[in-house]
Amino acid sequence: MPVLKHIAYIQLKSKVKFIVFVFVCSVLLSAQIQPSREYQIKAVFILNFAQFIEWPADAFSSAKAPLVIGILGKDPFGQFLQDAIQGEKSKGHPLQVKRFSQVSEVKQCHILFINQTKSDQELDVITSSDNQHVLTISDATDFIQQGGIVRFVTENNKIRFQINLNAARQNEITISSKLLRLAEIVNN
Amino acid sequence: MEIRKKLMMVILLTCGAVLLLTSLTFAISEFITFRQTAKRQLATLGEVIAANSTAALAFDSKEDAAEILSALKAEKHIVEACLYDENGNVFSLYQTGSASPVFPAIGAEGYLFEDAHLVGFQKVFQDEKYLGMLYLKSDMNAMYDQLVVHGVIASLAIIVSLLMAYLLSKKMQQSISKPILALAEVAKIVSQQKDYSVRATKVGQDEIGLLTDAFNQMLTQIQEQNIEITSFNQKLEQSVQERTNDLNRVNKELEAFSYSVSHDLRAPLRSVNGYAQMLQEDHADKLDKDGLRITNVIIESAKRMGKLIDDLLDFSRMGRQEIVKSTINMDTFVKGVVDELMEGEQERHINIVVHRLGVVSVDPNMIRQVWVNLISNALKYSRKKENVYIEIGSTVQPGEIIYFVKDNGAGFNMDYAHKLFGVFQRLHKESEFEGTGVGLALSKRIIDRHRGRIWVDSKLNEGTTFFFSIPNQ
Repeated sequence: MPVLKHIAYIQLKSKVKFIVFVFVCSVLLSAQIQPSREYQIKAVFILNFAQFIEWPADAFSSAKAPLVIGILGKDPFGQFLQDAIQGEKSKGHPLQVKRFSQVSEVKQCHILFINQTKSDQELDVITSSDNQHVLTISDATDFIQQGGIVRFVTENNKIRFQINLNAARQNEITISSKLLRLAEIVNN
Repeated sequence: MEIRKKLMMVILLTCGAVLLLTSLTFAISEFITFRQTAKRQLATLGEVIAANSTAALAFDSKEDAAEILSALKAEKHIVEACLYDENGNVFSLYQTGSASPVFPAIGAEGYLFEDAHLVGFQKVFQDEKYLGMLYLKSDMNAMYDQLVVHGVIASLAIIVSLLMAYLLSKKMQQSISKPILALAEVAKIVSQQKDYSVRATKVGQDEIGLLTDAFNQMLTQIQEQNIEITSFNQKLEQSVQERTNDLNRVNKELEAFSYSVSHDLRAPLRSVNGYAQMLQEDHADKLDKDGLRITNVIIESAKRMGKLIDDLLDFSRMGRQEIVKSTINMDTFVKGVVDELMEGEQERHINIVVHRLGVVSVDPNMIRQVWVNLISNALKYSRKKENVYIEIGSTVQPGEIIYFVKDNGAGFNMDYAHKLFGVFQRLHKESEFEGTGVGLALSKRIIDRHRGRIWVDSKLNEGTTFFFSIPNQ
């Protein structure tokens, strides 16, 4: 990690400066690990989506295979999501978080949070081949138009979500009616 | 109580007890079932609401939660409901009343009866993920009201059933009571009118039928026995009448005979007496002393025989004479007799006391002979005493008056008392006390004819008491 490299570098320079820096950094780090209240809620929502969505059987290699929550791009949840999924299961599948920096890295994912604007083509790539049954989630404004499935919307300080049913059907994902009731159904 | 009413009472009491017990059992089982059902229904409702509210809890949608809870409006008895999130904080509320309810802290899952409410908690799970808790409060009053309605319906059913039982028992008890009543009616006729010819009508072959048969047989037997007794009585009466007639005829013949004998004896006796006197008066000079004495003996004997015949005629007349009763005052009656008899006893010092004797209904002429007989006997047999004391009195006993004549005369040995009232029976020598021996026999005959009794009590040399009784009406 570049920050840590930086710390190592400073370490050589001055012990005093190092201590000050470590303090600043730890504040920064903690800021990074403890996400905003908004992302805490979104993390819980992502976690809960796993309970209300059914994937086709071939989405898992085995009955005990993990349900992978992928994060593409910058991770806004930090350690929070990691802690939240600890010990959680969805229909027998343990939850697992994977982080991806490139679209090309995305593989074997059941839920993918995309924290950057992606072109239509890139989304197609994500949902192709290995990741045929992925639930794509994003905050991006035109995410639904691009073929994404779930988009978080903040209304009156409350986090709601839009669901693109067509896209979900395309990916053979079944969304619980209970979840749909809470969602705004939109189509691209 | 009438048998009809007893039967109905038995039937109605049995029906009532059975109905009451049955409905009580039903009521208890219904109450238990009802509570179980209420619990199960609330649990089901809780499960449905909990299942529906998972997404609302998972995605923090209070609007959705409120909407889901507001669906409870359809269940009128749910008065309060509350959703708690996984941390135990109130997430959404539902209430029917205006007062703000106090929601309890999360308790164990399950449902409990609390006063008039059924309350409980239901965990909210999505698959295995615990999302929160649902609290439900159900008002049981509305349901208890329903139970009361059931109770009222059951009571009405009992009343209607009892009414039915009453009507049915009224109709059906007749099959038992009717033959008994008929039997009782016949028995009443038999005992009241002494009519043994009636018969009870037999209904059915049961015990009452048996009783009827036995009753009828008894009546037949009584009837037969009655006929037998009646004919026997008639025969008996007939034979008694025949015997009485025979006896009367013989008696009459005998009396006619003795009367005619006595009567016929008097004529030759009168000749004997008359000629003896003529001999004594007209031919005394031709007779010597011994001849005169013999003539005297003939005259005396003829006189005595005459008296004897008179007494015998009296005696036999008494048997044929009809009794003519009249009410007399015995006090004055006896006083007259005593005065008359005392006429010839003036030389002697006699103390005679007559007590109260009362009023009685007798034949005066006959009773007079009894009194004359008894009093003159008392005077006669006390002749050898210095101080003569005669007492006459009476005592009233149930059904009779007893009269007595008591003297302190010669008396006699009671061993011979049984001979006293026979004709010609005498306990003293003629030379000692004169008499024919007919007087007491005659007295007895008179008292017998009055349906009374006569008896004597005596002690030799101390005195005699004669008693006789006259029936008092």
